[in-house]
Amino acid sequence: MMTEADYYDLFEAYARGELAGPARANFEARLAADPALALRYADFAELTGTLRAYGRRQNVRQQLRGIHATMLAADAPEELARPETTLTHTVNPMLRISRTERKLREFWSGHRATAGVAASVAILAVFSMLLGLEWWRAAKAQPSLYGYQVLRREMDKLKKNQQSPSRTLNQIDVAPATAVERPSKFSGTGFALTSEGYLVTSYHVIQGADSLLIEGRDRQRYHAEPVFSDVKHDLAILRITDKRFTGFGRLPYAIKSGQADLGERVFTLGFPREDMVYGEGALSARSGFEGDTAFYQVSIPVNPGNSGGPLLDERGNLIGVVSGRQNDAQSAAFATKSSYLVRLVDSLEAAKPAAPYHLPRYGQLAGTGRPHQVKKLQDYVFVVKVFE
Amino acid sequence: MSRGNLSSSSSTPSDDALIAAMRGGDERALAHLYRLHWPMVSHFVLQNSGSEDDAQDVYQEGVMVFYEKVRDGSLELSCQIKTYLYAVCRRLWLKRLTSRSRFGVRLLDDEEHGPYLNTGAEEDLLAAEEQDRRFSTMSEALNHLGEPCRSLLEGFYLLDKSMQDLTVEFGYTNADNAKNQKYKCLVRLKKLFFTHYKEEPI
Repeated sequence: MMTEADYYDLFEAYARGELAGPARANFEARLAADPALALRYADFAELTGTLRAYGRRQNVRQQLRGIHATMLAADAPEELARPETTLTHTVNPMLRISRTERKLREFWSGHRATAGVAASVAILAVFSMLLGLEWWRAAKAQPSLYGYQVLRREMDKLKKNQQSPSRTLNQIDVAPATAVERPSKFSGTGFALTSEGYLVTSYHVIQGADSLLIEGRDRQRYHAEPVFSDVKHDLAILRITDKRFTGFGRLPYAIKSGQADLGERVFTLGFPREDMVYGEGALSARSGFEGDTAFYQVSIPVNPGNSGGPLLDERGNLIGVVSGRQNDAQSAAFATKSSYLVRLVDSLEAAKPAAPYHLPRYGQLAGTGRPHQVKKLQDYVFVVKVFE
Repeated sequence: MSRGNLSSSSSTPSDDALIAAMRGGDERALAHLYRLHWPMVSHFVLQNSGSEDDAQDVYQEGVMVFYEKVRDGSLELSCQIKTYLYAVCRRLWLKRLTSRSRFGVRLLDDEEHGPYLNTGAEEDLLAAEEQDRRFSTMSEALNHLGEPCRSLLEGFYLLDKSMQDLTVEFGYTNADNAKNQKYKCLVRLKKLFFTHYKEEPI
């Protein structure tokens, strides 16, 4: 009977080819006959085979490491020796790369693609943002020219004031039940054109309006609708649509159809804030922004909200409609000449309007003092509130 | 093939001569091969965000695969050694990069090494991976075996020492004793090796 150890001896001897002819044949016959034995032998062979191969691999690895080391060693002295034979100092210090520089170079070679992509994305983002901003500004400034500011007023700040309780009480007394309580988006100034309920304001004030509300000094409110507009000269004519409106009465000013003179003292009334504001100056040029002859330049300080306000001369004649100002110039406001307004009204008359026009022919303000003029005028100047 | 043949030929022996010399166990042939293709692989790895050490690891692994195939006689080379080594090292490095990086990896290839898809390197590497797993299990098993079993087996199988030498070295009273001891160690190793090796799914 063979023990396990004896089998291992036998396996070992067979694997090493130490078995003699007959014994070898005998063993091979037994392997073929006995599957269990064959399996055991296979296990043994795999184990010892793996063991030997493992040893060999360790050896080869060692060998390769040795080769690498000798290769590096063979390369290094060559490099060092070269400068020493001819010169005592290295000629070009750049030949030697310091440890940090090598690290940096490795980093760069590893990440240059990523860095490149990041840089180009950043550049693209910056430029598209700049371009986008430019476009946005251009689009926003569409109604006017660059450097020219139209003077309609955005009402965000006003909201709070309008909703304060004391004001609301006041309004409930006078305003009709249908009065709109939602805040308007923009506001400008307008003034009476005829006693029948036609008003004038700037076109840009009512631009894009859903509905318009006219509010006078006495807090009386009327609905109005645009009747006609002249985009080119920034003029719009409104008509009050409320049934209970009875008329303005006789207007105290006349509309001048000719040109006003340079240096004439002029004044305006407007609503750049809640209250009516008086502004005074002189007619400083007979052309407007960029030489536009449809406009005057006046030296009145104006603000958003002044748009559509009447421009009057010393005798109280209407000579223009305030329209805008130049941003980069000191106190340069522009007003549409009244002659264009007259022309517009004439063309309307030719179109046979529903209600007749009676333009004021004669002013009543000549020769009186400025406070007196303003007192008479103030009932004919209104806030135009625009809802979008 | 003899050493004389290698040294008498030109300074860059042909691939066939080199392989024959290696098969014959010429260490200088291996060193020559190693030195010949190192710049190519090191350049490749450095170009693809690897370090000098990475290049060395990858290259030695690649040469090992090649060398073992040569020694086995199972190498079927359908291209130049250079191309084969390039393909093997490329594959190895790609694998390491992928395991390292969270992003997809794209390698910059040197044009001159041409098509490396039909070099047979892929299959060889799969076999080599299996072999690697076997060896790492073996190394694990040997570590678990403990002394003096480990030294005894290593002495016999790895260093090819005779039973007589081992008897003296380990201070056994006679060769039979040593043989018995070796047998016990082998049985233990077998158990350790096969339980671990078979456990792991392929």
